[in-house]
Amino acid sequence: MKISMSYPRVTAVAAAAALAGMAAITVVPATAAPAKASAGLSCSSTLKIGFVTPLTGVAAFLGQEQLTWAKYAVATLPAKLGLKIKLVPGDTPVEQGPAPAQTLAQKYVADKSVVGVIGPSTSGAVAASSKTYAQAGIVQISPSATRTTLTKGDNQEATKAFFRVVPADDLQGPTDANYMIDTLKVKNVVVIDFQEPYSQGLGGEVESTLQKAGVTTSHQSIANTVTDYSAYVTKVPTAADIVFFPTQSPAAAQAFAGQLVEQGKKAKVFVGDGGFGPGSFKAPGSFASIFAPDVTTIASSKAIVAGWQKANPGKTAGSFGPPTYGAVQVLLQAIKAACVAGKGSIAKRSAVIAATRKVSINTGWILGGKFNWSKVNTRDPDVTKFYLYEIQSDGSYKRVG
Amino acid sequence: MDTFVQVTLNGLTAGSTYALIALGYTLIYGVLKLLNFAHGDVFMVGSFIGFGTLQALGGTSDPVVPVWLLLILMVLAGMAGCAILGVAIERFAYRPLRDAPRIAPLISALGVSFFLANSMQLMFGADQRNYGTFALGNGELFTKGFSIGNVHVPLIRIITIVAAFALMVVLWFLVTRTRTGKAMRAVSFDREAAAMMGIDIDRVIVFTFVLGSALAGAGGVMFALRVPTAASIGFVIGLKGFTAAVIGGIGSIPGAVAGGMILGFAESFTTGYITTRWSDLAIFTVLITFMLFRPNGLLGRAGVSKV
Repeated sequence: MKISMSYPRVTAVAAAAALAGMAAITVVPATAAPAKASAGLSCSSTLKIGFVTPLTGVAAFLGQEQLTWAKYAVATLPAKLGLKIKLVPGDTPVEQGPAPAQTLAQKYVADKSVVGVIGPSTSGAVAASSKTYAQAGIVQISPSATRTTLTKGDNQEATKAFFRVVPADDLQGPTDANYMIDTLKVKNVVVIDFQEPYSQGLGGEVESTLQKAGVTTSHQSIANTVTDYSAYVTKVPTAADIVFFPTQSPAAAQAFAGQLVEQGKKAKVFVGDGGFGPGSFKAPGSFASIFAPDVTTIASSKAIVAGWQKANPGKTAGSFGPPTYGAVQVLLQAIKAACVAGKGSIAKRSAVIAATRKVSINTGWILGGKFNWSKVNTRDPDVTKFYLYEIQSDGSYKRVG
Repeated sequence: MDTFVQVTLNGLTAGSTYALIALGYTLIYGVLKLLNFAHGDVFMVGSFIGFGTLQALGGTSDPVVPVWLLLILMVLAGMAGCAILGVAIERFAYRPLRDAPRIAPLISALGVSFFLANSMQLMFGADQRNYGTFALGNGELFTKGFSIGNVHVPLIRIITIVAAFALMVVLWFLVTRTRTGKAMRAVSFDREAAAMMGIDIDRVIVFTFVLGSALAGAGGVMFALRVPTAASIGFVIGLKGFTAAVIGGIGSIPGAVAGGMILGFAESFTTGYITTRWSDLAIFTVLITFMLFRPNGLLGRAGVSKV
């Protein structure tokens, strides 16, 4: 009896407290709203940009190279735009699947001073986290995620808040395949994937273009933890002219080329931008394609490259780092534009997304020429060609297309 | 037929590497009953020591010593460096936990594994590194050799396979024909009884780590003669070496060699004749099959405990 009497009393107290709480909640925004708008994010304070890339694990070489360029960009560019920027790197080891990308996205969303993200660097991480960023109004600008379906097609895997500064696989794949068909006159090509999105996307584009042209193709799938390719080289047909090897490591391409020679196979290795690496991949007769001329050969970028080399003694500029610098260039321009539009503050982080859409860089674009978004696919760069190189007997790269 | 010969050669090469790693696992488990999960990373460090030695001696383009001497020095440096590393790991990560519950050193071993992988990445970066042995002596390590049918067996493979088996024979001799080997076997059989017989347990355990780690160091250098190395390779290759040790019967030296070979051939024949996609699946299917039908491995013995 006591219990039944006390229960309604407790319920009544709880209900009263809840009502009071609700009243407080409904009252607070009415008075707090103007304060929030004026608070925003002051552009004179230090703003943060996240950086999502694999810093450990099998793809760490990619992320570590990108990190050096992102750090260099953040150290040198913001002051010229009157900004104070702090880079907050986060690790997404590819072996751990989508989970680290999702965790990092939640971390950056929760940190209200993060106004944009460089990355994610890998297509899988983009697909895993783009919605989380978009819901919070955070822009993502990737320096290396090239899977076509991120920004194109009916079932796009990335949101409208995602941009990239490198072209998609549907440009690179056909470029590489058409060079093999038209110039190298190939009859038999082996296409390899490494059981991860980059190679599967690019390899798929190459393979389908070759097949449409009547070229005989065979496919091999190699776990991305494998470094001894002997068993796979054995399966390369003697008649094969080219092995398309979309690795993300020039050293792996070099090893594969060596093992082809070791087993007496005549096929030459053809790599994408991930395998482009003068100094590391230098097997004569091999081919490499990349979205920009070798950054060390671009006259307008000489000072940038020299500055980066001074900051990173002993390192050589690879293919993943310079686009990361470019992604920071774009993001900083967008932040600056959002600050100007907001008269010294960024009221909502989504203002940076809107500003990113309008970014255009006429001078100082690290990959040479100008930077604009494509008029067709407005979140991809306005790049219509890839550059092709053949490796000479002394290991140097000669442009052939 | 050519494919069969080439696939067999691939299996033999991979198997000899796995066997060298498995021997380290089995030696340490035999004496300490410890699964040294840092062993794959010791192998990785060995490959880096070989790389450093190569660079110190002029690199592949301009070596200051003849090629044969260069290879020997690289392997010896890898063995010596890893032996020292093994002693340090035993002293600081395992000895303080020798009387702790068995889960404690196991966790410590995993910690050492991550410590080594991340330290190497911090010091030397995450890039893959190629010895570039193709450039040594105008590529003669790859172009010289002999042929079986149409299959070329290059000198570099002959060197790695022969050297691996030579090391296994030396190990077998050390363990079965020397006083220290006898002491190792005694400690493995019954540590307390061995101590009561006057055997210096600490010394035997340290010697075991020296042997196991030196084998890993040699394996690391020989592996990286043909294949790029990186700070991240230790965990996966260590896992395969551990699998080989379990298949062969952990604690058994001939078993470790047999397990390494089974694993190498399983991987090579799956890739060569079935599919390139599922070679790791084949390896771990072999492991599960052994666990189900022969849980003590090929040559392992069931443990007997008095109750």
